[in-house]
Amino acid sequence: MNTAGPPVERIAVCGGGLAGHLTTATLASQLPPSFQIAWIDAPSSPDSDVFYGSLTAPSAYTFNLEAGVSEPELLLSTNTAFSWGTKFVHWGGEHKSWIQCFHLPFPIVGGVLFHHYLKRFGVDELEPYLVSAAAANRGVFAHPLQDGPPILSRAEYAYQFDPFSYREAFAASPHMRRVQRIEGHLEGVERDERGIAALRLSDGRLHTADLYVDCTGTQARLLSHLCDTFAGNRRLCAASNHRATDRLGAPHRTLTGAEFGWQAETPLQRGTARLTVFAPESQTDALRAHGEAPQRSTEATIGSRAAAWVGNCVGIGHSAWVIEPVTHAPMLLLHRDIERLLSLIPFSTQMDFEGREFNRQSSEDYVHAAIFNRALFETPPFADTPYWRAAREEAVHEKLTQKLVQFDHRGVLVTFDLEPFNQEDWTILHYGMGRRPSRHDRVADRAPEAELRNSLANMKRNIENLVKQMPSHHDYMARLLGYLAQNRS
Amino acid sequence: MRKEIESVCILGGGTAGWMTAAALSHKFHGLPLSIRLIESEEIGTVGVGEATLPHIRSFNNTLNIDEATLMKETEATFKLGIEFCNWGRIGDRYLHPFGDFGPNVNGVPFYHFWLRLRALGDTSRLDEYSLPVMLAESTRFKFPDTDYSKIESTFRYAYQLDAGRYARFLRAYSERNGVVRTEGKVVETTLHPETGFVESVKLDRGEVVRADLFVDCSGFRGVLIEQALKAGYEDWSCWLPSNSAMAVACEGRGPLTPFTRATARKSGWQWRIPLQHRVGNGFVYCNDFVSDDEVAEVLLSNLEGPPLTTPKQLRFKTGRRRYFWYKNVVAIGLSSGFLEPLESTSIHLIQEGITELIQLFPTKEFHPADIDEYNRRMGLNFERVRDFILLHYVANQRDDGEMWLHYQNMKLPDSLQEKIAAWMTRGLIIKYEFGVFLPPSWISVLLGQNLFPRGYDRRADAAPEQMLVKNAADIRNEVRAAVRKTPDHRTFLSQIGAASGTAPLVAGGA
Repeated sequence: MNTAGPPVERIAVCGGGLAGHLTTATLASQLPPSFQIAWIDAPSSPDSDVFYGSLTAPSAYTFNLEAGVSEPELLLSTNTAFSWGTKFVHWGGEHKSWIQCFHLPFPIVGGVLFHHYLKRFGVDELEPYLVSAAAANRGVFAHPLQDGPPILSRAEYAYQFDPFSYREAFAASPHMRRVQRIEGHLEGVERDERGIAALRLSDGRLHTADLYVDCTGTQARLLSHLCDTFAGNRRLCAASNHRATDRLGAPHRTLTGAEFGWQAETPLQRGTARLTVFAPESQTDALRAHGEAPQRSTEATIGSRAAAWVGNCVGIGHSAWVIEPVTHAPMLLLHRDIERLLSLIPFSTQMDFEGREFNRQSSEDYVHAAIFNRALFETPPFADTPYWRAAREEAVHEKLTQKLVQFDHRGVLVTFDLEPFNQEDWTILHYGMGRRPSRHDRVADRAPEAELRNSLANMKRNIENLVKQMPSHHDYMARLLGYLAQNRS
Repeated sequence: MRKEIESVCILGGGTAGWMTAAALSHKFHGLPLSIRLIESEEIGTVGVGEATLPHIRSFNNTLNIDEATLMKETEATFKLGIEFCNWGRIGDRYLHPFGDFGPNVNGVPFYHFWLRLRALGDTSRLDEYSLPVMLAESTRFKFPDTDYSKIESTFRYAYQLDAGRYARFLRAYSERNGVVRTEGKVVETTLHPETGFVESVKLDRGEVVRADLFVDCSGFRGVLIEQALKAGYEDWSCWLPSNSAMAVACEGRGPLTPFTRATARKSGWQWRIPLQHRVGNGFVYCNDFVSDDEVAEVLLSNLEGPPLTTPKQLRFKTGRRRYFWYKNVVAIGLSSGFLEPLESTSIHLIQEGITELIQLFPTKEFHPADIDEYNRRMGLNFERVRDFILLHYVANQRDDGEMWLHYQNMKLPDSLQEKIAAWMTRGLIIKYEFGVFLPPSWISVLLGQNLFPRGYDRRADAAPEQMLVKNAADIRNEVRAAVRKTPDHRTFLSQIGAASGTAPLVAGGA
């Protein structure tokens, strides 16, 4: 083992919000018994957690298991619901609407991607061929199972969630018993040449560790002392409310574009969350659209810190970056941050390599997520309002240009290594935004027309028939919860 | 109005030319695209690259080529990987398989657990957790299972084959598909006065061949891409100085091995590629470090049986064409660049070049975005293969002789330097998605050549030692049991109807 410097055995996680919960639970679940994990609250629970949005990625299921949280536990102990994705309304080219759903790779015929056949036959809409979109539109849900209907098995699902409820499932994980919950909260930090020398607690005590994890949100109460350069100057406000409902709504969130920004309605168990995101200049209009006095109100700057890991301190989540929750990018990045940390837990206090590698991977992830979000703002019409102007102010990244040009030109999906958003995400986004290839892959001309038109029609019809038989989200959840509660030992 | 390409002219036969012809003629079958291939019996083809990678199977499957038929015609054997001898230290051997070493546990690759076991004093080899390695060591083979829950599914395979016969097989396929073959040599190339595009080529017998798109498979010369269009060449000999190869076939001895062998020597390395009827051998070297005569001596004295041919000498310059696709010419095969066949990549890079061309097939407008994307993708492919080959030369403990010292003192490309540093620090593989050598390949070579990292992923320490020891033993037993149920390689070949039936070749003719 590496003997350069004292060994790393003590980890201190600061921050009691969503990032703090997920990080601590995962560390507790995955690290050997020899590690001592301490968890310290920040002075206040960050309302900025609202900027994690209300939608996870499909990979949340596996991530949660690695953090010691099973899906049954999640559903029973929080107000989390199932999700096929986001329904965008009044957005994009011609302000149409579409479902940005989760889906496994589309059928490949003759080595050619599916959308080339749509182009060949002048079929303008992709959505009727996506089972998860059809199910979302109809408000129905069932788990895609390996031995279930094959059509449904192409769908992927994620979770609709409220950051303040979701995290409770992680607090309740049995692995948390090994975590030392420090009394009081973080008051300040002592610094030395390694980075953080100690945490000053509210009762005057000092807490020391070998590795400090900053999960304190946008305030970055640890990391900001070591790296105060934040690249980004687009300020956004968010207002959120939760209202009770009798019935569980659709398994998708609805995100409506507006001049001030956007508003998302997310059905959860026992209620619906409303999130309004807007440019500060448009506060009046936004709050009028929000409808009621916000239960939570917060602001953040969209962007990323120059370094997430400095010395013996690593920032996870909002202490290192803020990305607009217009897609599920925030939760995707949060998961990847935590997995990355687990793979780079240092051996000793000599952790330069781990820091550099973390930062390299983390900035690549941020760029790839940012260009996906940005692609939502790259097809006219655009409102000439502060929100939309600010969203489009920064120069378009070279990688996004390549993607847009090639999709427009010939439906080719330019892809880079290890992108967090996959080819299906991008194809659905392009179509949703009204972007279509100018021409299709010539090889698609080979397939016999009648046969293929038939296949497409069958696909569409089979999907329609399937979703007609599926239970509503509400009924499915009620039955599932009943079954789970009964079988809980 | 789309201006579809109506005519393609492929310059050069051999593996590159005929693979291109076969693939294009299949993919565009029934569409108005005429394909012509110009080759000359006089210009021999290189014909030394004879081992392949698993991707070749999807190439053949796409073309609906029957495996057993192809294997019979090309005297092919199955390939589970490459055995590397004397690369770490003299006397070492390891096998780089087409498969992984053990299952991931909670997202942590198994080799971290093996490193932990090793630190605890366990002496099991990493190889024992790899079914393809253990099969290769026992000279056994059968098709992998398609049930991914079974250990019998945990490998892929490729072939060792006669590349000349593969080209002839694909020629027959292509001609059946409407490809027109023209015998001839290009004596003159005519460029469009404004665009600089290749308009036509004139052959030695006078015929002028026009086409919208030209694929240059003319070998090292690059008749179109370089001689006519002067695309330029990026010389990589600062990293891979080998500039020569000497190839000779010999009689086979012993069991038919389902793997290729690469043996490191003082001033180069020697390959052994077993086919059904003979064994192909070759020596790759730089003639700055060793003379041709000395190489011939070493090669001929290290054959398992009498030579069947006289040694054939080749010179090459390692590197890549500056532009793989330039104007209306796409270079595929040796005209696109050269990397020594240490990891059987020559035919693979041909396949990649063809696949990307089909995906980015142009119109007569030759959109720059297509050309740029093609060059970007192929550039990444070449660079990543280069780094992986170079890894073998630098990740070792050999210091005997000028060649090895040259590698020890070399300044490596940044991309490779970073990967080795990450590995040595904590057994971390810096990953990429697009490239033929993924983490299991890197791990195989790094550990096979004794580069043991200073530490391993700390999550591997989480499980209690007893549980780890038991799980590891279970995996080893499972692998051994699967090997026992697998038939002998040659027997299996016959069983599936892939045995050519030709008698093994004998020196002096028979």
